[in-house]
Amino acid sequence: MTRKLLNTSVFRLSLIYALLFSTVAAGALGFIYWMAKGQMEQQTDARLQLETDALLNMYSELPVDRFTTIISMRNSENGSRYLFARLIHRSQHDFAHDIPFKPVNNNLGQGVATLPLNEILKGKNKHAEPARLMLTILSGDYQLLVITDLKEQHILMDRLLQTVLVAIGVIFTLALIGGVIMNRHVQRRINAVGHTANDIISGDLSRRMPVTGRDDEFDSLSHVLNTMLTRIEQLMQSMRDVTDNLAHDLRNPLNRLRNRLEASQYHPSATTDYPALIQDTIQEVDELIKTFNALLSIAQVESSAQRQDWAEVDLSALTEELAELYTVVAEEDNLSLTHYAEANLHLHGNRQLLAQAITNLLDNAVKYTPAGGEIRLEARRQNGVITITVSDNGLGIPAEQREQVFKRFKRLDNARSTPGNGLGLSLVKAVAELHGATVQLQDNHPGLRASLVIATSR
Amino acid sequence: MNILIVEDDRQTASFIQKGLMESGYVVDHAADGEDGLHLALQGSYDALIVDRMLPKRDGLSLIQILRAQGMQTPVLILSALGDVDHRVDGLRAGGDDYLVKPYAFSELLARLQALLRRTQPAQEYTTLKVRDLEMDLLKRRVIRNGTVIPLQPREFNLLEYLMRHAGQVVTRTMLLEKVWDYHFDPQTNVIDVHISRLRGKIDKDFDTPLLHTIRGAGYLLHDPQAA
Repeated sequence: MTRKLLNTSVFRLSLIYALLFSTVAAGALGFIYWMAKGQMEQQTDARLQLETDALLNMYSELPVDRFTTIISMRNSENGSRYLFARLIHRSQHDFAHDIPFKPVNNNLGQGVATLPLNEILKGKNKHAEPARLMLTILSGDYQLLVITDLKEQHILMDRLLQTVLVAIGVIFTLALIGGVIMNRHVQRRINAVGHTANDIISGDLSRRMPVTGRDDEFDSLSHVLNTMLTRIEQLMQSMRDVTDNLAHDLRNPLNRLRNRLEASQYHPSATTDYPALIQDTIQEVDELIKTFNALLSIAQVESSAQRQDWAEVDLSALTEELAELYTVVAEEDNLSLTHYAEANLHLHGNRQLLAQAITNLLDNAVKYTPAGGEIRLEARRQNGVITITVSDNGLGIPAEQREQVFKRFKRLDNARSTPGNGLGLSLVKAVAELHGATVQLQDNHPGLRASLVIATSR
Repeated sequence: MNILIVEDDRQTASFIQKGLMESGYVVDHAADGEDGLHLALQGSYDALIVDRMLPKRDGLSLIQILRAQGMQTPVLILSALGDVDHRVDGLRAGGDDYLVKPYAFSELLARLQALLRRTQPAQEYTTLKVRDLEMDLLKRRVIRNGTVIPLQPREFNLLEYLMRHAGQVVTRTMLLEKVWDYHFDPQTNVIDVHISRLRGKIDKDFDTPLLHTIRGAGYLLHDPQAA
C-alpha cells in the first residue's frame, strides 16, 4: 500500500511540494528566531553597560571599602540573581587573563563574555546556567564584574525554538495530508477511466468515460476519449455491417450459383446447354464481384482517413464532364439531361470518389425517370456552400423512406424490378461524409432532388 | 513475344500461362519474388506480369530494383489490394498498369497488349488510318471515304484511343480510365452508349463496319478484310 502510494505521481509531486514548502517556512521562522536572539543579547549587554557605568561613577567618588559595601547593598537590592556586581583584586583572581573577553567598543578597557555562572563565582553559587558578564579593569588592579543570569532568556529562546520546530512539523504534515487527499481524488478519477477502459477491452464498446460535469481537465479528457470511442464504435459497426452484408447478400447469389452448377453435374450432358450455362455463370460471378467491390469501397471510404491522394478538384469541370458522359445515356432512354455549373468551383478532395458519387446520383435519376422525363445537374455556390444537385421528375422517394435508402442493400419496392445492388446511395453518403458534406433528398414535385451540400472555407 | 509471370498462386499462374500461350505468347513463370527478379534480370522479356504480394520479395520492390537497374520492360501489376492509394503506390513504384483481382482474362490480355504496343518504337503519328477511316491529329478532323465526320471532343478522344490500339481488344474499363480518367465502375454501362453513338457516326453509313463488339471482353477497331 505504501509502495503503491509512493508510486503515484500525484503523491510524489505533493511530497516534493510539502518538502519545498516546509523548507521555505523553516527558513522564515529560523530568521525570526535568529533576529530575536540577537535583539535579546543586545538588550542584555546594554543593561550590563548601564549598571557598570553607574558603578564606575560611584567608584571614582568613593574609597574602595565603601564602594564594596555599596555593591553588596545593590546586589541584595537587585535580588542578586539577575544582576549583581563584584569588585575583585587581580591578585585574588585574574579574570582579565583567565577568561577570553570580547572587548567592548569603547576606551575604558571593558570586555564581555558568556560562561557558566559557577565558573565565575567558584563555590559561592552552584548554578551551571550560563551568565553574561562585563569586566572593567580599574585603577589599582581592581576588576569590576557586572554579571547577569541568562537562564530566563535561554528558557524563552528554547520555547521559541520549539515553537518553530513544531510549526515546521505541522506545516509539513498538513502539506503531506493535503497531498494524500489530492492523490485519492485524482486516483479515483483515473481509476474510473481505467475501469471503463477495462470494460471496453473486455468487449463492451458501448461504455463511455465518466463525465462529472465539473468541466475540469478530467472532463475534457473524458470528452476527447468518448469522441474517439464513438468513432471507433462507428468503424467497428461499419465493419460489422460489411460482414453481415457479405453474409446475407452474397450467400444467396453464391448459393444460386452453386445450385446451378450442381444441377448441371447431375443432368445428362445432352440436355444441358453448356455454353449458355457457362456464360450465365460468368455473368453471375461478375455481378457478385461488382457487389463485393462496391461494398468494399464503401467500407474503405467510411473508414478512410488517408488523404494523401486528395487534391484540388475543379467541380465546375467535373460537372461538365459528367453531364457530357451521361447526356448520351439519358438520350438513349428518351430523357433530356441539362446542366449548369457555376464557374470556378474548387474543392479539396478525391476526384474519383466525388465523380463516383455524382455518377451514382445520375445513374439513379436515369433509372427511375420514365421516358420523356427531365434530369438536371447543377453545381452552385452560395455563402461558401457548394451544392451539387441532381434533380429529376421521375418516381421520387416517399418522405418517410428517405433515411432508409442510405442503408446498404436497401431497395424500395418499386425499384426491385430495375437492375442495381442497392449500394449506390450508401456510397454517395460515405463519400459525402468523407468530404464533410451532407446528402439531402427532397421532393422535386414530382421526382427527386438529391443534393450534395459541401461547406467550404471560402 | 516473351512474357514473364511472377505469381505465387500456381493455379492462377497456370491459368494465365495457358491463356497467353493460346494467344501466341511465350510465357515463363516464377513462383516467388527472388526467382522473378533473377529471371527478369537475365532473360529478355517484352513484358512482365507481377503479383503484388509474393513470397521472399514483394512485387513492388522487385519492380523498383528492375527500374533502378535501368530496365524499361513494361510491367503489369496484379493485386488483391484495390484501394486508390494502393494503385497509386503501384504505379509510383514503376508499374505501368494495375489490375485488381478478381479480373477477367480478357481484361488482362487487353491491357497486356496495350502495354506491348507502347514499347514499340514511339512513332509520332500525325495521322491515324484504319482502312478508309482517317484521323488527322493536328487538325483534329476525321474523314471516312472522303466524307468529313463531325465528332464531339470526347468522341474524338475515344476514337483516337481505339485507332491507336487498332487490331487490339480494348475493354470498357480501359476506355473509362484512359479516355475519361475515371477509375471506377459506373452501374449503368455508359461506355456502351458512347460506343454505339460513335459507331452511329463512323460505321452506320458505310459498307464495312470497323468498330466491333467482342462479347465478354470489350471493343475492337479493325479492318476485317485486311487480315
